[in-house]
Amino acid sequence: MEKLYCTIFVVDISQNPEEVETVSSRIQQLIEDHGGIIKKINRWGKRRLAYPIQKKTHGYYVEIEFTANSRLNIPYTLEQEYRMNDRVLRYLTYVVDKKELIQRAKKAGEKAKVEAKAAEAKAAAEAEAKAKATEEEKKAETAPAEAPATASTEETAGKSQADNGQKATEEAAPVAETKEASAEVAEEKPSTDVKEEKEEK
Amino acid sequence: MLRGKKKRICRFCENGDVFIDFRDEKRLVRFLTEQGKIVPRRTSGNCAQHQRQLARAIKRARHLALIPFVSDIPR
Repeated sequence: MEKLYCTIFVVDISQNPEEVETVSSRIQQLIEDHGGIIKKINRWGKRRLAYPIQKKTHGYYVEIEFTANSRLNIPYTLEQEYRMNDRVLRYLTYVVDKKELIQRAKKAGEKAKVEAKAAEAKAAAEAEAKAKATEEEKKAETAPAEAPATASTEETAGKSQADNGQKATEEAAPVAETKEASAEVAEEKPSTDVKEEKEEK
Repeated sequence: MLRGKKKRICRFCENGDVFIDFRDEKRLVRFLTEQGKIVPRRTSGNCAQHQRQLARAIKRARHLALIPFVSDIPR
């Protein structure tokens, strides 16, 4: 039967901190050689031991999760390795049961909820910012209302072209064109109508 | 003869926890006496199921030196 295992071991790093890599790579290799699939490697890092083990007060914790067929008997081979390796202070290998998975899913769900809430708050803030920006844009549009007229004189009035005209006016300084525009406003009524429709939207 | 003791509700049941993880030792420490003994069910108020899970979690955590077997009290 395919099972999910979790193995945690404590490495002594008082002599050589690089031992962690050698030991963990050896364990990973063992698991893979015997037909296990590594799912997750979690390094807890250096921690203070709750009580001294072999006169050491600190250890480096590594957690490896892997799936394997229970017939392969990987926990046994791991134990052999752990026992032989004198750099390993403590080890624990166990089968992850359904309840733990459920609990993890629950935690993840709660986290996701919190994140979703944060995302919602962010989205709301962004929407507000956008609304403000659009208002400002509208204000900007209403102030140089005459500006798009210059664009429409060059090309016949159409909605898409009117859009282009708006963009152009936003980019270009409207002050420079106001003189020309004011003269042509009276002639170009349809373009201003389009403008008003847009504003309503 | 009840001595005015309040009926306690299992905290894990209240939380809706299905599994007690031995990794978060801060939570386990709350169910240990000052000496590091496991608090009995009659004082902690845990339900039987969660007390069993808790005991297992504490024992695993002890083995990995996350929580002490005994913590001495200076006299």
